[in-house]
Order: sequence, then C-alpha cells, then structure tokens
Amino acid sequence: MSKIDFASVQVGDTLSSKSLAVSQQLINEYADICGDYNSIHVDVEGMKSNTMFGGSTIAHGTINVEPVLQALCDIEGRLWPAEGSRIDLQFRAPVKPGFTIVSNLVVKEKKTEGGKNILVCDMKIQNKDGGDCAMGSTVIVCP
Amino acid sequence: MEQKFNTSLVANFGPAKMLPDLKFAEMEPGWDCGGGTYKVTKEEVDKFSKLMGDANKGEITIPIGMIYIFGLRICWDRKVFLDGAIRAGDKISFFKPAKIGDTITTKLSIADKKEVKKEKDGKVRINKFLYVDMNATNQSGEKIVDIQMSFLLPATMQ
Repeated sequence: MSKIDFASVQVGDTLSSKSLAVSQQLINEYADICGDYNSIHVDVEGMKSNTMFGGSTIAHGTINVEPVLQALCDIEGRLWPAEGSRIDLQFRAPVKPGFTIVSNLVVKEKKTEGGKNILVCDMKIQNKDGGDCAMGSTVIVCP
Repeated sequence: MEQKFNTSLVANFGPAKMLPDLKFAEMEPGWDCGGGTYKVTKEEVDKFSKLMGDANKGEITIPIGMIYIFGLRICWDRKVFLDGAIRAGDKISFFKPAKIGDTITTKLSIADKKEVKKEKDGKVRINKFLYVDMNATNQSGEKIVDIQMSFLLPATMQ
C-alpha cells in the first residue's frame, strides 16, 4: 500500500490506479456474495440470444466501482478512506467478462480545509482496451 | 437460489409494504424501505479480498466493497431494485471504518425523485429518476458509509 505525498502533488497529476480483470467466474462468485443472480449477470447461454448487451453477460454495477474503492485506500495509505472522502459516479457502459477495468484519477483541485489536505479528482473507470465504464469525481482526504 | 457465501445476515426489518407496492407518485423522500443487520467474519473478508485481488486481506478492517455489496443484498431482500430500473450512479461518503466482528446495520430510504419531461413529435416522454439512501452504521450507532443510489425507472409517455 502506498501513501500519497500531498506536498508533491500537482493539479493535472494522474494518481495511483488499480485494475480488476473481470471474468465470468468472478461475476459468479460475486453473485454468491451479494445474492444477485439476475440472468444478465450469470446466464451465459441465455444471454447469447439477448442483443441488448451484444450476446454477453454483464458484471454487477458494484464490480465496476471496486478499482476506485481500492485506489482511494491506496492513495490515502489507509485500509478505509478517511472521513470526508467521497465518490460520485455515473455508470456509462456495462462491464463484460474479459474486460480489465482500471481506475483513472486526475487531480483537478488541491486545497487545505479545516486542517485537512484534500484532493478533488476527475475520476474514470475504463476498460483497458478502451471505453469509459463509469465516470465522475472523487474527494480524497490525504494523510 | 441458495447463497453460497454465508455471512451472518442476522435479520432484515422494515414495513410490510415495500417499494414495488408504491406508485411513483407515492414514492416520497424519507419513505422507509427497511434494512438489515449483519456481521462479517474474517474468513469472509479473506475470501472477498482474494476474489478482488485486494492486498488488504488479513486485516481487521472490512473492505468497503463488502459493505457495499452486503447493502445490495439487503436491497434485494427489501425489493428496492424495481423491475426495469437501471442503476444510473452512486454517491459514496465515508465515515468510520467497519471492523470484523462489528454488527452492521444498513437502512434504506427514499432520498428523492424527479421527473424529466422531453417533448418530441408532439409526444411527451417522462423520464423518472429515483434516489435511494443506503446508510450503514456500527453497533455504537456510528456512521460507516452513506451511499445514495440513483435509478432510472421505465419512462412513460403522455
């Protein structure tokens, strides 16, 4: 786990990213955890005839968010983002088995408020092979 | 289908009337969708961390992703995901870390709703958005995380 050096960060910097390789097995095991066995996630054969997602299953929306959750912890050097940290995201495109999704955080604003060092970032979660799966912003409370 | 991942989902609670029982006009901010209470074990944290390739495994802090998805599990039990609704986005605010052994309570409520009308070719399409709060606290009543989920509901025509 790394920890960001607030003093050395500049507006426009790209911060530490995290990635997740999404497979059907991962989606299936995720379904076991969250109890969401919707056919769009787990019915590989049935979805072949469904044109909405190009004949593929899609990952649960919360799988998309996982790289940015991990990135926040990594950047802050904590196991849990500090109080005041925030993520605001909109889903843009489904994540399918075979995708490797990567968090992308670019510093938009750097400030100190109430004794806290804060970075406001533009955030994207992208497929490694191109395309935005989710986008929005994050507020990072630095150590 | 039986869940293979057996976190101690102690109890779900809430009104007998659930979200699908309401018409859109009845979905008012503050409406109680119910919730659930659970504990997460170290074994489950290790399994989740391995699945997600998260190097934090073995720690006493529960990965935020687990709080997220157990919240979703409660959403399913409380029928918060309406037929035809599309997840549009989430706003997540972090508070105190969740620890292994904590009794975590997740409460669900309607945060807001809005209608967006678009006119085309003499017809009016009404897009409906619903916002649901998912607030998690520990056994001391301390906030862990607040998540506001936004949904795009099936549109209607006028």
